[in-house]
Amino acid sequence: MSLIQIEHLKYRYPGTDRLALDDITLSIEKGEFIGIVGRNGAGKSTLGQAVNGLVPRFHNGAYGGKVTVSGVIAENTPVEEMCGHVGLIFQNPFNQLSGAAETVFNEVAYGLQNLGFPAQEIRSRVEEVLKQLDIWEYRERNPFELSGGQMQRVAIASILCMRPEVIILDEPTSQLDPQGTEEVFRVVEDLTDTGITIIMIEQKLEKLAKYCDRIILMEGGKVRCFDTPEKVFSREDLDECGVEPPAFTRICREYALTLQDGTYPVKLEDAERLFREKGVSPEKDAPAKIVSSGNEEVFRTSELDFSYIRNVQIFKGLNILLDERPTAVIGQNGAGKTTLVRLLKGLLKPVSGRIYFRKEDISGKTVAMLADKVGYVFQNPDDQIFKYKVLDEVMFGPLNIGMTEKTAREESLNAISLMGLSGLENVNPYDLELYQRKMTAIASVVAMDTDVIILDEPTIAQDYPGKRLIGNMIRELSRKGKLIIAILHDMDFVEENFERVIVMAHGRILMDGSADEVFAEDQVLAEARLQKPYITALREILGK
Amino acid sequence: MGNLFKTKLNAATIVLIPACIGINYLGKLFASLLKLPLWLDCIGTCIGACLGGPVIGGVCGAINNIIYGLTTGDNITLIYALTSFGIGIAVGVTARMGFMETLPKSLICALAAGLAAVIISTPLNVMFWGGTTGNVWGDAAFAVTQANGLPVLLGSFIDEILVDVPDKIITIIIAFFILKGLPEKIKALYDVNAEVERLD
Amino acid sequence: MSGLSLYVDQGTYLNRLHPYTKLLYVLTAILVPLIGGKKILFAVTIASSILLLIIGKTLKRAVPLIAFSFTLIIVIFLVQGLFFHKNEIPLLSLGFLVFYREGVMYAAGICLNILNMLLSFAVFVLNTPPQELVEELEKNGFSSKFGYVINSVFQIVPQMMKTKDTILDAQRSRGMETEGSLMTRIKAFLPLISPVVMSALINTRERAIALEVRGFGRKNKKTFISERQKLKGDTVITALLFSLLILAVVWRVKSCL
Repeated sequence: MSLIQIEHLKYRYPGTDRLALDDITLSIEKGEFIGIVGRNGAGKSTLGQAVNGLVPRFHNGAYGGKVTVSGVIAENTPVEEMCGHVGLIFQNPFNQLSGAAETVFNEVAYGLQNLGFPAQEIRSRVEEVLKQLDIWEYRERNPFELSGGQMQRVAIASILCMRPEVIILDEPTSQLDPQGTEEVFRVVEDLTDTGITIIMIEQKLEKLAKYCDRIILMEGGKVRCFDTPEKVFSREDLDECGVEPPAFTRICREYALTLQDGTYPVKLEDAERLFREKGVSPEKDAPAKIVSSGNEEVFRTSELDFSYIRNVQIFKGLNILLDERPTAVIGQNGAGKTTLVRLLKGLLKPVSGRIYFRKEDISGKTVAMLADKVGYVFQNPDDQIFKYKVLDEVMFGPLNIGMTEKTAREESLNAISLMGLSGLENVNPYDLELYQRKMTAIASVVAMDTDVIILDEPTIAQDYPGKRLIGNMIRELSRKGKLIIAILHDMDFVEENFERVIVMAHGRILMDGSADEVFAEDQVLAEARLQKPYITALREILGK
Repeated sequence: MGNLFKTKLNAATIVLIPACIGINYLGKLFASLLKLPLWLDCIGTCIGACLGGPVIGGVCGAINNIIYGLTTGDNITLIYALTSFGIGIAVGVTARMGFMETLPKSLICALAAGLAAVIISTPLNVMFWGGTTGNVWGDAAFAVTQANGLPVLLGSFIDEILVDVPDKIITIIIAFFILKGLPEKIKALYDVNAEVERLD
Repeated sequence: MSGLSLYVDQGTYLNRLHPYTKLLYVLTAILVPLIGGKKILFAVTIASSILLLIIGKTLKRAVPLIAFSFTLIIVIFLVQGLFFHKNEIPLLSLGFLVFYREGVMYAAGICLNILNMLLSFAVFVLNTPPQELVEELEKNGFSSKFGYVINSVFQIVPQMMKTKDTILDAQRSRGMETEGSLMTRIKAFLPLISPVVMSALINTRERAIALEVRGFGRKNKKTFISERQKLKGDTVITALLFSLLILAVVWRVKSCL
């Protein structure tokens, strides 16, 4: 008998009329690594939570069919019993901390304490797993003061030490920076050798394809296909399911290079081998570049000094000129990216030096005075949303800066449709999912029709269709002569959508140029600890 | 009557308590930041009471004061845990009776909260502070009553009404608007009568 | 340590004493003067609390904890000294304000009690990590759910407080005013508090899941992993404090006979 058996599973969340899971039947063997892919809202997380019984025991709602994990029926087993069999890790590292412990060691021990294991056993298990995940040195630290990647490893440790048979990873890296993502994927890679059964929901398909034995493709609460990564990513209906195949698959498709069974490869090694065998070498691609209206000066800083705490200098003598080209600011956390854009927005004041906006000195201006000129979309939409309807939320800014009711409504409706939220104008934003709330927050700033729009990590938690919408928005607004500045961690997105890229590290600008120029500089990328876009990396390897 | 106090002590209601206490803290913080002439320090308690029921509301209030005492070293606040407990219970019971359904009805809820605060605080004020509350306007009124020879208890009662009732009315109005905007999935989480329906 | 707790580990003997011992001290210091019924006893307990604060190297940090009560103390002296209902004998007159002996004495009683309570409690909170108290209570059968609530407040509330500045920035960025007339400021309250409340409540859903998958709500007995050795001082001090309490009661009963 299979380890996990799902038969005719149906599920509907309370207060909704759509089936989140619609007649799913499948089985997973012990030791398999299973990926779940699909657009946001396809039912991936719901399926994951049906395996450990949170669906329906925690969420309630309407349920049909049967899920068993090593013979235990999920629906009838309390989650606190089930957690010995199935562990769950999800997106937000911060919300996974229990809040009950003031040290990492105690946080990880918390589950075992609840399960009533002997103290000696708990101590040795926690030590083992902390060392395994390379966080032993943080054992005395407060878990809430760690970085996202470290927090997420603490969350994984907390689950692993309970030694479940199955572990469900629900987009564990979607809210992390590149370094945190690397840390977590390293842990996942180590886990594949331990023989534990893994179910991983993920949007970073290059990574997923590398580890997976089989992949479940979901759309509209149904399983479209459950097969090997090669078969799944060679399907013709991927676009329709809101999934973009891994970079390696895309490039092989472009050159019609297939494996023996007629599928396209999903891994770097396979793609590389095929290209060598066929003797093809890919051209350096020239993506359709955005045509912006001009190179007129928008922002200029001169000899900018800034520090949060005295004697801990962030910027010293920073000089930078921004024109109307869409600009991406990249670099690791702590490089000074957010500090830079906050200075431009007037949220922070320089210690010395000047900032000019359209040749006017704005060093002394308040945020409110700049509100109608510079828009800023914060990373977390939940730090700003407070109205009960998407439209009202989007209209809040425009009305504040003195637009008439009529103009504000028009601008807002345009922004809403630009961000793909048409039809949701009268919905409560908090009834939407996080990725839709992010779109709402972006729309609420776009509607203010400012000259400049600053975006802090707009692609976090977005799937492929979402990223495409944001890309369109950037192009559309650039065409109107607006300056778009974005802080980004997603290098593939940067390459596709930005004309100018600024690389930052330790409060300095390491490089400033076009995407092609920047991603060709291995040394700069290494110093900023950044990775190349997958496609660029592949073309380079194959071009050699 | 049993249903009024029905409480689910699951993970969802337990984590509601620290969240509500955080809301209390932030309400107070923003009120002082905006220099509003109100405390607004029990919005969380009221939300906890409406979502989790009177027991959770009472516990939110009581623990709020215990933590406040432990973090400011002010053990006199600890005694007012009784008042906060009373406010939580009063709001929870009136909310379960349906007094948070519309804005006009919620005034009853606010009055219940204000009354609970006054009835419990007044004897405590008299016992520990000789009748004063530490609020300028309230204490001025108290001084007037004392100068005119009214009993301490009555003076303190008037003092407390002036201080607490308006604050609780505003608090409940804010809580009402917040609860109105709460997403369905959160409301469903705290529905005491929720059960799993079968689909096959 | 979290930003909320007042405790700082200084490795002192007072830090290491069992939380119950320190709690009993608070009780004794508050009750002895009240039972004994003599104002001089307040002087003794207040002095001993100050002494303990000095020994524990915590006197400096205790000052702000006490300072807030000074305005209240002044108000009490004013109101009671001027208007106390048993006022008869004038003590001091400043222009048309006349302070009476009875009122001032009554106010002094209240204020000594307040100071005594605050100081003895300061000895406790400045030297005891709340988590330790909670764990000891749990070991003695206190519900682990309520233990969780207390502990998590210390962790979660500071995190929520951190969002204050971001929310302010986000709403100001959209042109919201936070200064000006009372009406402007009142209007700003909802845009500031709502995001915190909403995200806090939405986060509860995920945090509840996080707890569920870690065995929260299991009926079996929870394991405690930290061990604390009982100090010899705990027993001695506990016995001493109890005898002081008994002594106070005996004295009171005797003086009544």
